[in-house]
Amino acid sequence: MRTDPLWRAVRLLDVDPKRVLGAVLAGAGGLGSAIALAAISAWLIARAAQMPPVPALSIAAVAVRLFGISRGVLRYVERLVSHDVALRGMANLRVRLYERLASGSPAGMLALRRGDLLARVGADVDAVGDVVVRGLLPMAVAGVVGLGSAIAMGVFLPTAGVALAACLLLAGVVAPWWAYRTARATERESAAARSDLAATTQTLLDGAGELTVAGRVAPALDELRAADARLARAVDRGAGPAAVAAALGPLATGIAMLAALVLGIPAVTAGGLDPVELAVVVLTPLAVFEATSVLPGAAVSLLRSREAARRVVDLLDSSVQAPAATPAAPASGDATADVPAGVAVLRAEDLACGWPDGPVLVRGLDLELVPGRSTAIVGPSGLGKTTLLLTLAGLLEARAGHVLVDGRPVHVLDRAAAASRVALTTEDAHVFDTTVLENLRVARGDVTPDEATAVLRAVGLDGWLDGLPDGLDTVLGSDAARVSGGERRRLLVARTLLAAAPVLLLDEPTEHVDAGGRALLAGLLDGTLAPGRAVVVVTHRLGGLDAADEVILLDATGTVRARGHHHALLHGEHAEPAYAAAWRAEQQAEQTEGE
Amino acid sequence: MRPLDPRLLRRAQSARRYVLLTAGLGGLTAAVVVAQAVLLARALSPVVLRTADWPDVAPTVGWLAVVVVARAALVLAQERFAHRSATRAVAELREQVVAHAVALGPRWLAANPGVTTLATRGLDALEPYFVRYLPQLLLAVTVTPATLAVVLTQDLIAAVTIAVTLPLIPVFMVLIGRMTQGYADARLTAMTRLGHQVLDLLAGLPTLRALGRERGPERRVAELGDAHRKATMGTLRVAFLSGMTLELLTTLSVALVAVGVGFRLVFGDLDLVTGLTVLVLAPEVYLPLRQVGAHFHASADGVAAAERAFEVLEAAAPERGNVPAPDLTGTTVRLRGVTVAAPDRAHLAPADLDLDLAPGEVVALAGPNGAGKSTAVAVLLGLLSPDRGEVTLQGDGSARASVPVSEVDPSGWWSQISWVPQRPVIEPGTVRDAVGRGAAVDDAQLTQAAALTGLDAVVAALPDGWRTRVGQGGVGLSLGQRQRLALTRALLEPAPLVVLDEPTAHLDADGEQVVLDTVARLRDEGRTVLLVAHRASLLRLADRTVVVHSAPVEVR
Repeated sequence: MRTDPLWRAVRLLDVDPKRVLGAVLAGAGGLGSAIALAAISAWLIARAAQMPPVPALSIAAVAVRLFGISRGVLRYVERLVSHDVALRGMANLRVRLYERLASGSPAGMLALRRGDLLARVGADVDAVGDVVVRGLLPMAVAGVVGLGSAIAMGVFLPTAGVALAACLLLAGVVAPWWAYRTARATERESAAARSDLAATTQTLLDGAGELTVAGRVAPALDELRAADARLARAVDRGAGPAAVAAALGPLATGIAMLAALVLGIPAVTAGGLDPVELAVVVLTPLAVFEATSVLPGAAVSLLRSREAARRVVDLLDSSVQAPAATPAAPASGDATADVPAGVAVLRAEDLACGWPDGPVLVRGLDLELVPGRSTAIVGPSGLGKTTLLLTLAGLLEARAGHVLVDGRPVHVLDRAAAASRVALTTEDAHVFDTTVLENLRVARGDVTPDEATAVLRAVGLDGWLDGLPDGLDTVLGSDAARVSGGERRRLLVARTLLAAAPVLLLDEPTEHVDAGGRALLAGLLDGTLAPGRAVVVVTHRLGGLDAADEVILLDATGTVRARGHHHALLHGEHAEPAYAAAWRAEQQAEQTEGE
Repeated sequence: MRPLDPRLLRRAQSARRYVLLTAGLGGLTAAVVVAQAVLLARALSPVVLRTADWPDVAPTVGWLAVVVVARAALVLAQERFAHRSATRAVAELREQVVAHAVALGPRWLAANPGVTTLATRGLDALEPYFVRYLPQLLLAVTVTPATLAVVLTQDLIAAVTIAVTLPLIPVFMVLIGRMTQGYADARLTAMTRLGHQVLDLLAGLPTLRALGRERGPERRVAELGDAHRKATMGTLRVAFLSGMTLELLTTLSVALVAVGVGFRLVFGDLDLVTGLTVLVLAPEVYLPLRQVGAHFHASADGVAAAERAFEVLEAAAPERGNVPAPDLTGTTVRLRGVTVAAPDRAHLAPADLDLDLAPGEVVALAGPNGAGKSTAVAVLLGLLSPDRGEVTLQGDGSARASVPVSEVDPSGWWSQISWVPQRPVIEPGTVRDAVGRGAAVDDAQLTQAAALTGLDAVVAALPDGWRTRVGQGGVGLSLGQRQRLALTRALLEPAPLVVLDEPTAHLDADGEQVVLDTVARLRDEGRTVLLVAHRASLLRLADRTVVVHSAPVEVR
């Protein structure tokens, strides 16, 4: 049980036991009221049939009305307290996730970004919280109420109490367990059909035009029908056992009632049970089973939540604690000023990089980043240029060789210290759901509105800024829905420029930037945008690279094929034919587009 | 939406059968519920009054056992068929939605990206609606009136008590629902926003770390979580009121019935059998209504998904023509003034495009990104109707009049076209199936075509060669590989008109040569080729280049 992901995730919710107890008590009180209502009604009517004086019934009559009210009220309280417990737990879990991911090894966290785990984590945390409300609390309530009812019946007639307990076990333990098993088997069997279904739907809708013209819609729809039929068969096979689980509840209710009659009537004859009490013993079980009726559904919901819990726990596990970092002196306000020109801030020696579990993508790279000088790294796409930047920034450990920042290995530096020297903006950098200004302050907390306006103007976003309804205070919306691809890139460039670090690493800063992308790249490389800083740009476009102090051309194996100034690579003594060919192709394409 | 949308029954045959079956089972359930109450009262009453012993009531208890088994069997049958019918009804709806969405065309799909989610996960949410909500709804119209009618025959006063409180339940639910709706909506917006901000921070964590700014926001995560909880609890306090009202009304009514019956028993106005029957039946009258309330929220997602599915199904698909398509080897395709408003409505792309595509010609479409080249292709193919202008098929010789593409029978027209879009679709199957697309492929021709397009090298690297499974459940192909595959197909298909949309977009220098060779071969075969192209090498290959322009929407 300790290793079960669901259990681990639930423990991480860190729920307050007092509140849980409150919820269970309220829930048991509510259900208990309903049972008491049934028991006292039965007593009232049976006793009334003996035509006693009216005052003998008055207490029962009041109690019936009282329980009629307390049932609704206590149920209301239970629902509020249990949801409060779950919501507090979910908030705790989110904070824990954040803390763990923020302090864990960067590589693990970056790997997650590549999947959709982070995108799903919101729903997953909700599903784990749901376990408390839909799964664990109803079980606890049913346990308390079931035990209490069985004991109460046992006081009147011990054998009836035992029979009720047995029936409750059938409805409250066997039926949910059976439902869980069946649902798990069905889920397993239908998984393949479901993924075929999703894939076929996707193919049909993505390729609607092509399939229509090619006359292939009908066969694809046949395939969809076939996948749906497979799903129906899998569900059908599970439907029988699932129905058995559902029918066990009413069956157990009926058996408990019959058992009470069979055991109770002879007991009345034998004088062991008062006739009025017989009515109570027979009619109460009809109300008790309301507690167990939700449990099969609760068990199935546990199954669904377990998947979510597994993802959450994996997320936490994958982000193992980072090795102890060397605290470095925090950077002062303007870090660039500390560095004398001409001294390298970052030095890479015979560097090889790649993901910890993947192949080596870039190898044998020597690099010296000096403030005031710019470097452009070009090469075929998918080569690992982004991985190289992550390694230079200290977010990935070098596979071989060293990355030294101010003479110390970058990956042992404290993250804040490393980031104060080397600022990185990846291609998929996040635009936060907040104002333009706050998005820029992600790079440096003390950015003033004037600074922000200036930098936005510098990267060519002045027109965009003027068009925003609230200027710098405009909220950008969910992952920058209000921003086009090109505007997003420019915004990311602006944010990087605001970072205090003397070394700026930019990944494809001008991708999707249509007109003016070349000027932006040139501005980054020739020092107009980031004077006195070392700028590294990774790109696959060559236009504008004549502004770079050095161009490094990587080949498909990740080794340096050639390096030097743009003109030298193009026309010099050691001109690189591959570079020249790529350059010509790009020039031609641009001419065509310009026509 | 209405609790049971007639459109659902009209669209999904399985749903119709299921409703009939469930209504039938509901009727039987009503009979069993009544029988159980009556038998229980008859078995219990004489013993309580000490007028009978076990041997006297044993047969009644025996019948009661039969009823108990019958009730469980009814639940079994209901559940057994509920899951099956739900899956089938969802499948029927899914197929209709997908087929109709495809017929609505790529432009509509691009404007409605949610339809994929709707067709997969969205419609699956109908399952709780079918399995839980609908049966209780039908029990509410079978068991509730049947049990109430039986109570009426037993005891008028109890029946009146129930009959008066029963309508209060829906009335109160609606009233409270109305009262809380505005409040809940406002809270919901705040709640969604807070929840989203937390996720936003988590999603942006890599960025924060890259800039060394990851410390600090954990406090914000905690604050947001707290604010989210408070906002949610505010909504729930009000939302759960309707549930509480329902519980209060039903339990209090049952309590009132019990007390009323008790006092009339004391005064001898009622006998114990009747009293017990009414006592057992009273909660059963309310039970289906309570269950409808309990499952209402769980079914809401499914109901909303069904609603969206009907919206898709009710969108008007473009009408298809029925004039037999002319033979394209002797027909010029003519575009005149073709203009399409871009999805942002601010641009026309293309704007006033004129194009003649005569048999055997190789024509290139050029123009900057966003000028509407691919849109022009969609219009030419008849997948999209232009906002202005027309596409006609002009027969050779003066005798044959021109036919607008929109009036031509599309299957005859499309069967003469081979189209390689920017991102070709690979249907699941072997590579060979994917090339042939259901048609038989001649080995010699396949080898020749694959050598030309470079597909042979791709296939050589695959584990099972031509028999390797690709697409879903098989090997994934890169866009460049998919393009080579689609080019091979275009070579093999005998279509007189070939449309290539940016064939070199995902190919390197070698790949470019492949496209040049392919186009040259197509030209030699006398086929008409329309090329959407950027690169000069491709443009040089064309007989003519037509430049596509976009234009801002003129202000009126």
